[in-house]
Amino acid sequence: MAILKKKSRVSGAIPTASMADIAFLLLIFFLVTTVFDEEKGLPLVLPEQSKEQEVSQKNVLHIVIRADGIVELKRGESPSVSTVTADMIGDIWRQDVAQNPNLIAAVKTYPNAPYRYMIDVLDQLQGAGADRISLQLYEGN
Amino acid sequence: MAIMQGGYKRKSKPASDIPDSSLADMAFLLLIFFMVSTTFPKERPRKLDFPDAEATQKLDTPRKDVMHVYLERDGSVYINDALIPMDRVSDIVAPEYVRSEHKLVVVIRADREVTYNYVDAVQKELQQAGAVRVAFYTNLEERVRRARR
Repeated sequence: MAILKKKSRVSGAIPTASMADIAFLLLIFFLVTTVFDEEKGLPLVLPEQSKEQEVSQKNVLHIVIRADGIVELKRGESPSVSTVTADMIGDIWRQDVAQNPNLIAAVKTYPNAPYRYMIDVLDQLQGAGADRISLQLYEGN
Repeated sequence: MAIMQGGYKRKSKPASDIPDSSLADMAFLLLIFFMVSTTFPKERPRKLDFPDAEATQKLDTPRKDVMHVYLERDGSVYINDALIPMDRVSDIVAPEYVRSEHKLVVVIRADREVTYNYVDAVQKELQQAGAVRVAFYTNLEERVRRARR
């Protein structure tokens, strides 16, 4: 009778020796796959379609970005055009907006100009605190 | 004498092995942190050179209200890994804009060398879809680097 008695009994406890290994395995998996994809950039609100606003020419600072990255500046109705580089725009905006708080920056970019030149100007304007910015395609006027 | 010796004998010895009873707890803590913070990207990242800008801001828009529009150097537009013809962009964005209850922010991820006419065309499509809140994706440029350039 004693011989027939089953000697091995099923253990009542969950084996926990390899728990740490499993945890680390999963940990490494999540460590490797995690990407902290943060959203960043230059935010801007586009005008709504069919909501064109008439603005007085004297409140407009025309900024024309040429294909070679040189920026042409024209203030309101004045016919004089000055050429500057993109990194001067911020200081120009600060000076001009101090004189006219209603100033609007109208950024017109040549169709064949690389995108980064527009970003350089937008960067300068936003760095100078401009919030009335209009982005347009230069159509020869 | 034996009692004296026993009295002076230092009883506590520093343990020679690292305590590992809390190892699993620490592992699980970190595991849960990474499990909670992991979000699997919906789309494959595209290899583009983004422009640099000093004024780059962190956007705190919830992920579900963000839509990426990729604009490649040759002017092709990709949304959710699919090539979209330029004149169909508004058809893709408009339902998303409605679904997000007008909170959608479209992040335009355009290559730095793409010509501006394509960027303008994307903007016009977004305006047509009513999604007027956009952001131009840029990498943060440090002032020092700019001065050197």
